[in-house]
Amino acid sequence: MNNLWSDVINFLSSENIWILIRACILVVVGIVIARLVSSTLIKLVSNKIDNHRLMLIKRGSYYLILILFFVSALRELGFNLTVLLGAAGVFSVAIGFASQTSASNLISGLFLVAERPFTVGDVIRVGATTGEVLTIDLLSVKLRTFDNLFVRIPNESLIKSEVTTLTRFPIRRLDILIGVAYKEDLKKVRATLDDVSNKNPLCLEEPKPLYIFQGFGESSLDIQYSVWAKREKYIDLKNSIHEEIKNAFDENEIEIPFPHRTIYTGIETKPFPVNMIGDTK
Amino acid sequence: MKEDRNNDLTWWGTFKLDIEKNKEWHIGPLKLIIKRLKNEWQIAHESADIFDSMDFSWEIKDTEEQPNIYSNNSRYILHDITGQLIVAPRLADRSIVSRPHIPFNLAANEEIVLYVSSPLWIDLNVGTTHLKSIAIQRLSDTWFGPSTLEGEFCYASTTHCRLNYDDLPRRSHKAITPVLIRNQSKTTLLLERLNLPIPLLPLYTSLSGQLWTPQITLTREKDGDMAELTINNEPPTEIDSVELVSEAREKLHDNILFRAFNTVFS
Repeated sequence: MNNLWSDVINFLSSENIWILIRACILVVVGIVIARLVSSTLIKLVSNKIDNHRLMLIKRGSYYLILILFFVSALRELGFNLTVLLGAAGVFSVAIGFASQTSASNLISGLFLVAERPFTVGDVIRVGATTGEVLTIDLLSVKLRTFDNLFVRIPNESLIKSEVTTLTRFPIRRLDILIGVAYKEDLKKVRATLDDVSNKNPLCLEEPKPLYIFQGFGESSLDIQYSVWAKREKYIDLKNSIHEEIKNAFDENEIEIPFPHRTIYTGIETKPFPVNMIGDTK
Repeated sequence: MKEDRNNDLTWWGTFKLDIEKNKEWHIGPLKLIIKRLKNEWQIAHESADIFDSMDFSWEIKDTEEQPNIYSNNSRYILHDITGQLIVAPRLADRSIVSRPHIPFNLAANEEIVLYVSSPLWIDLNVGTTHLKSIAIQRLSDTWFGPSTLEGEFCYASTTHCRLNYDDLPRRSHKAITPVLIRNQSKTTLLLERLNLPIPLLPLYTSLSGQLWTPQITLTREKDGDMAELTINNEPPTEIDSVELVSEAREKLHDNILFRAFNTVFS
């Protein structure tokens, strides 16, 4: 016990104490400067950059400066940095192999933030999942689907696969596929469709509705009629215009046929024989 | 009941309603009933689906019909003792795209004055409290811009823009805007579509109750769809004895470059 105490006193009164104090000061100063620099940087650029990049800059600058000061403190204490770096190198290779996926997600996340195919608040579709982006985090993106479920999508799969941002552009086209009976006059059908789209106020007058004759279908003449709407009104337009087309076709006696099959009894022109069984009342 | 209005030629003005009394407006396709209660105002309206905009008429009358006969109903709680309802016309809340009957070419260094009409909104106020704004005619939405990626939402006008002042039908549910187009570029301008920034315009009335906006000047200095927009500070010279009816929805501070012509979509 006395030895320990005298060792401590010896140490405190030797040269080494100053080295230790200097090292501690370096670390403390490092923390203070790192905080100062990162918050100044944030204030300078906060107007121009979105939250994620801001966070990256803040954390990045803080840790960078902190590491610099920490390394100087270690050098001050007399550690041989080469040995440390060597050990760190081996360690990081081991960690790297273990955390391949997480590292990939992290880097994919950085690329996503830089590229900005979507931001918080956008609605995206990844594979079969459609939802609103809640947060874009380091390793994953969190979505809320329209039936209010929480979905976590790893950044890696977003980088690797196709992502559709539904809320990127202000207007959206609605494609309506209609089959009309072969007996119908296509000019009349087209005029009826144009009349319906003119009367519907949600349907944009321009870009003009697009009429495409798709082909001679099995049971009907297949037509595609595409109309444009404001993105937010897409569903309203979809509901109202389908109903209006149905009503207009009914009024103009344009038939949307059921699938047809024609059956022949051997000699084409003879009709099918039909026998009535039971009372005809 | 005594009515204090600009004149009998207009459907707007200040109207006094007694408590438990209803008044009905028919303006073009719009049917409106307003009922005053002790501390409440009720507004109900409906629009006809089919409307022939060339055959316009309006009517104001007292009525025993209740507001619930119409589908759009709203109630406003107000402690108001005067019973004065202010009905004011207002211009559209978006730009309006109109076309000449047949597109025409305006050669370099030429200019022309066109007349464009736009439908009106009704603003209902009691004292300084704004109750509701109702469109007399629901116009179709449309998109005006160089592509589907950028541009602005506008209304599509149901009428054509005209060259002759005399051809213009006078209808008190629409406001007329004179537009001076100057083509100072080196190429001919093919005018197929014209976009007008209606929310930047104030509204004036003539003695006969026809509503006008000040003249807009669109100066095309380079090839393309952009033009420098200038709005006259004074009322249009086509009418005498004007009175300001409502202010512009948005103010234009400096002359701006505005996308006014055509835009071609593929």
